[in-house]
Amino acid sequence: MSLRVGVVGAGGFGRALALASARNGQDVVLWSREERELPHPIRLSTDLASMRDRELIFVAVPARHAAPMAEQLGEVVDGRHLMVHISRGLIGDDLQTLTKVIRDKTVCRRIGALAGPLVADALAEGRPSGAILGTGFPELTGMVREAIGGAGLRIYDTRDVVGVELASATVGFLTVILGYAQEQGAEPGTLAVVATRGMVEMSRVGRTLGADESTFMGLAGLGDLIAAVAGDERPELRLGRALARGSNLQTAIGEIGAYVEGFEVAKHLLEHARRNELETPISSTFVAVSEGRMGPDDAIQALMERRVGTE
Amino acid sequence: MLKRFLSERPLRLPHIRPYVPRPSDPSIFWFNSERDDIVSDVVSRICAEHESDQARLEMALNDAAFHEIRRLEKQRDEEARDRLGYWRSMIRRIGKMDATEQRRVLHTIVTNMARDVAGNFDPRVYRFARRVIPRLIGGVMEPRRLTHDLVASSHEALGRVLRVQGDLDHLQYLQSRGSLVFVPTHSSNLDSIVLAQALEISGLPPVIYGAGKNLFTNPIISFFMHNLGAYRVDRRIRVSLYKHVLKLYSQVMIERGYHSLFFPGGTRSRSGMIERHLKLGLLGSAVEAFTTNQVRRIDRPVWFVPTTINYALVLEAETLIRDWLTEEGQARYIIEDDEFSQIDRWIAFFRKVVGMRGACIIRFGEPIDPFGNTVDRGGQSLTPTGRVIDPGGYVEHRGKPVADGARDAAYTRELGEVLASRYERDTVLMSTQVVAHVLFRHLVQSTPGMDLFGRLRLRGEISLDCESLRRELGEARDRLSALGARGRMHISMVVKEDSPNELLERALSFWDGYHASTAASREGDRVILGDPSLLLYYQNRLVPFAEEIASEDQLRAACEIRKLGAHR
Repeated sequence: MSLRVGVVGAGGFGRALALASARNGQDVVLWSREERELPHPIRLSTDLASMRDRELIFVAVPARHAAPMAEQLGEVVDGRHLMVHISRGLIGDDLQTLTKVIRDKTVCRRIGALAGPLVADALAEGRPSGAILGTGFPELTGMVREAIGGAGLRIYDTRDVVGVELASATVGFLTVILGYAQEQGAEPGTLAVVATRGMVEMSRVGRTLGADESTFMGLAGLGDLIAAVAGDERPELRLGRALARGSNLQTAIGEIGAYVEGFEVAKHLLEHARRNELETPISSTFVAVSEGRMGPDDAIQALMERRVGTE
Repeated sequence: MLKRFLSERPLRLPHIRPYVPRPSDPSIFWFNSERDDIVSDVVSRICAEHESDQARLEMALNDAAFHEIRRLEKQRDEEARDRLGYWRSMIRRIGKMDATEQRRVLHTIVTNMARDVAGNFDPRVYRFARRVIPRLIGGVMEPRRLTHDLVASSHEALGRVLRVQGDLDHLQYLQSRGSLVFVPTHSSNLDSIVLAQALEISGLPPVIYGAGKNLFTNPIISFFMHNLGAYRVDRRIRVSLYKHVLKLYSQVMIERGYHSLFFPGGTRSRSGMIERHLKLGLLGSAVEAFTTNQVRRIDRPVWFVPTTINYALVLEAETLIRDWLTEEGQARYIIEDDEFSQIDRWIAFFRKVVGMRGACIIRFGEPIDPFGNTVDRGGQSLTPTGRVIDPGGYVEHRGKPVADGARDAAYTRELGEVLASRYERDTVLMSTQVVAHVLFRHLVQSTPGMDLFGRLRLRGEISLDCESLRRELGEARDRLSALGARGRMHISMVVKEDSPNELLERALSFWDGYHASTAASREGDRVILGDPSLLLYYQNRLVPFAEEIASEDQLRAACEIRKLGAHR
């Protein structure tokens, strides 16, 4: 019996999830605000009530739309539904994860966060890739594997849901830094130090929010960052490059023409780090550079002159 | 010898003819007639789980023998002399037994454990207790009123000490529709007694609860505990099968509609902080009871009632905070030599709280289903916007209710988090806690850079003038009131209504002369911080709110206080 899969959001990832599910023989309904063409056998609905008879629902909307969307879904779903989101964002000053938002706005409990080096095109076409699902519910892992996993996609799982969501959000910001460094002509070794040590400092922040540091070193963190640097041409890389070319933040965001969640998230994470007296030299320095409070050369000098310790 | 006799063969009253429960009686009145069936249900389920898995069976027997030998060798008492031989002989034979013999041994072990755990309920003892205990408590507190109390309503005597808050009508309705599981915070060994009385004066039914076997060594307490439905928990036993028996016993009772009580914190909060990390074993048994009934198509809902027990004065405060402050203390689970075991401390404690308006407040929070959803007055689970949902959907897989231990364990972890946040929300802050917080914050502010233990050594060395203290108390109270209005927690009527000066005098008077050392005392127009450990204990209840009630110049100290709670 095929799974009844629902996908909320018709962006690149929403369509890719719908295609991957349909390829696995599942019965798929994709919700979109607007009418649009979809390949057979995916059915389109512009009515969220169409999610009511779904067993598994993928929420594929940007973090900034997640709270109102969860509120609307809350009127439709109940305890029978299993739900997975794929957002890389966190919400608000208090760094709410999307699983928490979904939990607060709906009665769904079997919730998970799908992250890692997933790229929409590869997922849509079934090219080999991997992902990680953060959930406390093994049956959800089973269902997601059944829906979209298989020969083209290896889906690992972890119970560290908050770790997956924080690591994933962190990658967005670190990718901006790496884009900046690339444009500045940084050597591969420099990029590696920025990526690795940047992830370490963010994992320290994550730990105080309940995450497991090792999750940052897995698919949700470093794994995803490697995919970004290896050239999947994310908007975050382009944003970093635009900043390096001298654009200010607002102009750079305008230039790339895409919404980048990582930057806002980073500011909240750094504020949290400051309150908890955690050291985040790479991230803090980069925010200072992006806001014009520090020049690139001074930033590099400040970072290189820091006392070096044991890893 | 007597201790062992009492803990193993608690006193029961003789029966001339068995008590036949009336339909209006609470569910626990049926317990004695069902006890053997319950024990046998527990035993048969555990044996069935091991039936087809030889490796698991052998592992269970080895684990039981290994841990019991280790415990008894350490105990070196009469029980050890009786039982050590049995376990030593068994561990030698396990490998040589065939499967049938192993199953037989398992059956014997589990039956003995289940019988040891199962309690008793005597309606005569219950009726006696509900009439006399409240009057005695009132009498101990105010001897001159004892004569009056013995003839007055039992509720009147108790009402002087204990205040109950919450939607009692709602709970009274739900108790007739399903199983209620009361899950209170835990500060003192008095909690179960106080809570039993709170249920009684609220018109709520008696509940079954697990009581440490050490409590059964006191003949009077043992008699009441044993005859009022308590099941015995021997925390010294580390055997996996024993923990399984305990959980399953609790589960079967809830499945059958018995109202229950357990403390998810596991043990008394050593620090005085609101519990955050809850033990999930018994909580899980209630979740699984719901699942099992759903799978069997039995419509018997399970509702949890988060409950906070709030004392202005805690009987065992000194021992608890001392224990928290030592590494040894954090690992020590059972304290047998604290104030609870000293009758003079009981009397001193009760005398102290006499006349103190609202010395203990029990707050029954909003009931929730096993998945953290609120429940309406008709017992239906609700979404955040008030839509009615079927909680049975949570245990369905592809349209059918199914048993799934891993799923229920995940639900239990989530329920633990919901309860922890409810505890914060339903905490009622008492006068001593608010005054202790302001004083402790002053201590932190006056000693920048000093670590916690350095500060705790400053006995009697830091003081604050009364005028400043009153001002800070007034400000803290106003900010707490504002937080309370936003639903972050509650403050007691005393904290709400007293002037800062009355609040201060009340707290100083609570502390004066009860604890071996005084938390704080007045000398002229200054208040001296006497024992910072006690201040720490009482103020710890405010840790989650410390930063929100601090002014700009108090923020750094408040931040340090908040960090105390990072590992609670």
